[in-house]
Amino acid sequence: MTWLPETAPGGTDFERTLALRPELRADLEAFERLLWESGSVDPALLELCRLRIAQLLGWEPEVRRCGPAEIAESKRAALETWRRSGAFTPVERACLELAEGFVLDPHGVSEADVGAVAAHLEPAAVVLLVEALAFFDGFTRFRAILGVQD
Amino acid sequence: MATSPRLAPPTFSGPPPADPAQRGVLAHQPALLRAFLRCYGTLWSHGVLDAATKEVARIRNARVTDCRYCRNVRFAVARDAGLDESQVARIDEGFADSSLSERHKTVIRWADAFLVEPCGRHEELRAALLRELDAAEIVELTAGLALFMGFSKIAVVLGQEPEDMPTTVIPTPVRPE
Repeated sequence: MTWLPETAPGGTDFERTLALRPELRADLEAFERLLWESGSVDPALLELCRLRIAQLLGWEPEVRRCGPAEIAESKRAALETWRRSGAFTPVERACLELAEGFVLDPHGVSEADVGAVAAHLEPAAVVLLVEALAFFDGFTRFRAILGVQD
Repeated sequence: MATSPRLAPPTFSGPPPADPAQRGVLAHQPALLRAFLRCYGTLWSHGVLDAATKEVARIRNARVTDCRYCRNVRFAVARDAGLDESQVARIDEGFADSSLSERHKTVIRWADAFLVEPCGRHEELRAALLRELDAAEIVELTAGLALFMGFSKIAVVLGQEPEDMPTTVIPTPVRPE
């Protein structure tokens, strides 16, 4: 569990930690719900990006955690080496490329990288995807640095 | 660095909204934008951590992530709390030897750890942080860093950074109802 000396009631370590700021927790949960439930982007595609970001950042509890959407075990197993795998569709590959650039080198993300995603998704969906990448990147780091386990 | 928009903003059937945030590229997802602005308003206007300390973390992120917009914006509440340009100038590579307070120096180290090595153990830094902030303040600071970094990277990746921008003090985000 988190190394913080106190938490507040909640079902998971993440909820107990964020519950120290209950208004912020409620607003962040509402934001995250919109990401998963808007219908703009397939939740399975978001889950692939969430997992890949957790892998890149190296926070194992987040890699092990199952998000709101299911993905096939074979795909989960191949995710670390997705570039060499035939298991991923063109839209998944474009989104994973963007996710990696977003986390590791945002200034290196090119117009072509964004265009590759936009070739498959409407502008509103591209915006949702990018906001989801920001949320996953930011709050995986939040979990990691505070030692949040689940 | 991206300075040209990679997505066009949405078109509006009537006059575009007066608020620039409501007519930019993020307006493709109006409900999500409202939810983000609510989070940001809660962070800044209903927080437990003082605004100057949050602003130190925000500006450190802006410099490390290198977002031109975030680097040049200042929130009025932090300016009113005494975080003037001479102090902002010290949030650079020489911060450790500067006259910034120990609290602000510790927050800068925390921001750097968050941005560069979030999975590190940081035991000494944790202890230093706990001497300066209570647990709720640490949660708010760290959630703030997640939002600051995310917003900066979105601006960079979607090419939303201005070509040139003077230092600009803007109103403190409030929580929309």
